[in-house]
Amino acid sequence: MTVKSKATSVPDQAELNADVADIRQSLSPYLSYSDATAIVRRLKKLRKAGFKSGVRTKLSILSNTTSSQLASLIDAYLFAYNIDVEIEEAPYGLLRQQVLDPSSELYSAAPDFVFLASSYRDLLKTPLAGDDKETVDAALEETVSEWESFWTLLHDRLGCQIIQNNFDTPPWRAYGNLEPRFAGALGNYISRVNQALCERAPAWVSVYDLDGLAANVGRWNWSDQRFFNLAKMPCGPEYMPRYAHGIAAQIAARLGRSHKCLVLDLDNTLWGGVVGDDGLAGINIGQGDAEGEAFVAFQSYAKSLAERGIILAVCSKNEDANAREPFEKRSEMVLKLDDISSFVANWEDKAGNLRRIAKELNIGLDSLVFVDDNPAERALVRQLAPEVAVPEMPVDPADYVRVLAEHCYFEPVSINSEDFKRTEYYRANAKRDQLASSAGDIDGFLKSLDMRAWVGPIGELEQERSVQLIGKSNQFNLTTIRHAAGDVDSMRADPNWFTCVIKLADRFGDNGLITVLLAKEDGDALDIDTWLMSCRVLKRGVENLMLNSVAEEAQKRGLKRVTGTYIPTAKNVLVKDHYASLGFEQVNEAENGTTHWSLSVDSDWAPLIHHIIKENT
Amino acid sequence: MTELISEITEIVRDVFGDDEIVLTESTTAADVDGWDSLMHLNLVIAFEGEFGVKFTTSEISTMKEEGQNIGTLAALIASKKG
Repeated sequence: MTVKSKATSVPDQAELNADVADIRQSLSPYLSYSDATAIVRRLKKLRKAGFKSGVRTKLSILSNTTSSQLASLIDAYLFAYNIDVEIEEAPYGLLRQQVLDPSSELYSAAPDFVFLASSYRDLLKTPLAGDDKETVDAALEETVSEWESFWTLLHDRLGCQIIQNNFDTPPWRAYGNLEPRFAGALGNYISRVNQALCERAPAWVSVYDLDGLAANVGRWNWSDQRFFNLAKMPCGPEYMPRYAHGIAAQIAARLGRSHKCLVLDLDNTLWGGVVGDDGLAGINIGQGDAEGEAFVAFQSYAKSLAERGIILAVCSKNEDANAREPFEKRSEMVLKLDDISSFVANWEDKAGNLRRIAKELNIGLDSLVFVDDNPAERALVRQLAPEVAVPEMPVDPADYVRVLAEHCYFEPVSINSEDFKRTEYYRANAKRDQLASSAGDIDGFLKSLDMRAWVGPIGELEQERSVQLIGKSNQFNLTTIRHAAGDVDSMRADPNWFTCVIKLADRFGDNGLITVLLAKEDGDALDIDTWLMSCRVLKRGVENLMLNSVAEEAQKRGLKRVTGTYIPTAKNVLVKDHYASLGFEQVNEAENGTTHWSLSVDSDWAPLIHHIIKENT
Repeated sequence: MTELISEITEIVRDVFGDDEIVLTESTTAADVDGWDSLMHLNLVIAFEGEFGVKFTTSEISTMKEEGQNIGTLAALIASKKG
């Protein structure tokens, strides 16, 4: 029996573009080997269909191990940087010959980059047990000089840039814990060779820290001997994507494609909790609490990036004053306002705000990395500002540093005194003028969220969460009346009252009960006593869905109007224009700023548009 | 065993990127277009990942030899899963 491969059909342009975006965003360093090779196959198909884009460059890989899998993975990760690379692989095992022979394939290929994919097996000289210090030093000198001479040869003949692996220390240690004490021990020797390589590498050579990668993934995992013995693979296959990703980041950095700016969300990203609701004292940051410590560690990492020239910015859904307060008043905050070059806190969509940040800092949108704990915000940015790098953040803040670091976004080629001044420079140049935010297609995004809602009165199941929200919501809260559990009980029993809550789920999961409305018949009107909502679901259309259900209820009861009140507090300026935006007319305004509103719900009234599917009827 | 063979079929389809591959107990590596030594390693890596097993060096190299088929592979995986 013979199994035939199916014929490949040619996709149309829109499909192609969607595929390109999806491939780019799928290329995380955490891919398993199988998933990564599946992406390599998709990329091949794309190119067969005629897709070409990006900065062109040529790379030659020289290796004494099998490099074919590594080569196609490097190609894929460079594709994510919008770099279109042509890769030449030198015949397996001929690293030295290719460099030395001026008529080799390497020189006729004339690459822009040469990757010397060496491993510890390529060390020219290794010490013998019992060798004295002088003998070992001589071996070390000979070994490092050999690579140095390769660099010079390649650079002279090709004018290329070079990526050179350092040497991965094997996991076994013949000398045990005494390894670092003996000049003749392999581990000790390799660490000295690696140090010398870095010290002697000229500006056009990047030394890639293969040894560091092996340590990070675990040296025994890294050196899966089965795959070396069977197929001369350079490392355990599951770590090949990480390896290729690291090399791609080096090449991208040399082509000027490293990211320059880290944009941070605030609530649950830089501290635990929601400052607008929980208050300055209620947010979780600092020693004494396990999660609070994780946020400190993340801030410290961001600060260390800033100190070497990475620009920091803030992009948060918050009142500007609330957002700044922790930076000014909580001493546990490692980051201060001075560290932030562009600070944007408002209620507009984040894709538009990121464009504004890039413009203020005068850098490309593709130099931004955006970190946000909220999957819906990440999805919005990926969809409406696909140039921005958006890492998939873990649920636990203890892992934030790791995930951000392992993406290698900020790979430097060189660091000089200018870098240390750069943050200052950008901050001085950041203009705070309002920019017209080109939002992109919000409707399309909202539809893609696949939102489903349960809309109904407060029952036994909804009682506890409703009372909790009534007790603590500050920002999206029109009247901030704190009804107690008993009050809510009586409203539920009183036919003059109408209670309504919404539970919302979307493709990222269940948000639970997120909004509460309490209204009472008053003459010819249904008067809204309480309307509050969790800011997490702001601008998703939940407001419209809620208004529709209260207006329909008024009609059902034969009433003519829905009325509402806005009572200003220190925290609810967000909803000052809430009723106006829903089509209410202002009836009056009291001296303290309290406003009254009315909406006629006669037969002319049309339900507001939203993209939420009501699951119960 | 049939269940295991259908799981194996899914993985082979994934690795080859071909949803039309059909495997039975008697299918051998030589019966499938493109099952070369590189693809073989890709399959081994995928089986290890999906089933949470680890093959020995000699199992990996004999798997696609004469006398071996999907049935013997399934039996090997079943014995490792315990």
